[in-house]
Amino acid sequence: MADSPPPAPPKAPRWVKVSAIIVGVLILLVVIAKLTGLGGDHGPGRHTGASGALPTSEALSGGNSSEYALEGGR
Amino acid sequence: MTMPPGLRKVVLTSHVATSVGWLGAVFAYLALDITAVTSKDVPTVRGAYAAMEVTVVYAIVPLALASVLIGIVNALGTPWGLFRHYWVLVKFLLTVFAATVLLIEAQTVSHLAETAASSADPRELPGTLLHSIGGLVVLLITLILSVFKPRGVTRYGWRKQDEQRRNERAGRTEPVR
Repeated sequence: MADSPPPAPPKAPRWVKVSAIIVGVLILLVVIAKLTGLGGDHGPGRHTGASGALPTSEALSGGNSSEYALEGGR
Repeated sequence: MTMPPGLRKVVLTSHVATSVGWLGAVFAYLALDITAVTSKDVPTVRGAYAAMEVTVVYAIVPLALASVLIGIVNALGTPWGLFRHYWVLVKFLLTVFAATVLLIEAQTVSHLAETAASSADPRELPGTLLHSIGGLVVLLITLILSVFKPRGVTRYGWRKQDEQRRNERAGRTEPVR
C-alpha cells in the first residue's frame, strides 16, 4: 500500500505575523529617521564626536574656565 | 541530542539565573542612567556614570553572554530545539540582537564614564536612556515568551516532527523475528 501524501506544513501563527509587521515598521521608522536626519546621529560616535575620539578634559572644562564647552577655550 | 534529566535541570537553572540576573542588572543600570541624566548634583552625576560603567562591564555584559550561550545549549539539549518552535527562535534572535547592541553600547558607556570623570560639568552628557529602556523592553519580551511559550512550529520543526512520527511508525510495524 502506498504512503498517503504528506500533509502541508503549518502556516506561521498570527502572533508571529503581527510581530514581523511590528519589527518591519520599526526598521522602516529607523531607516526614515536616519535618512531624514530626524533621529540625529546614532551609534557610539554620537556620544563621543564623529571621529570616535574623546574630547580632552581640557576641551571639556574649557581650558581654565570652569564652564563646560566641547570646543574648549571659550 | 537530548541531555539527561539531571544535566538538563542544571543547564536550565543556570539559564534562568543568568537571564534573570541580566534583567535585574539592566534595571539597576536604568536607575543609574536616570540619575545621570536628571540629577543636578555634579558629583552624583559623575558617580552615576562611573557606576554605569562598572555595572555594564562586570555585570550586564558577562550575564548577557552567559545567558545567550547557556540558552543555546539549553535549547539544543532539549526536544524544544533552537529552530523548531517560533517562540524559541524569536527569543534567540532577540537576545542575540540585544547582546550585540549591548557590546557596542558598552564602549559608549566607558567613553561617557571617562568623559564624566574628567569634565568640569558632566551634566551636559547625553546618557543612554534610549538604549537602556529599549534593552529592558526586549528582555521583558523574551521573559514573556519564555513563560507563555506561544504555539507555532516552524517548517524545520514540522519536518523534524514528521520524520520522528515516521520513524516511530516504522518501528511499530517492523515484523518480530
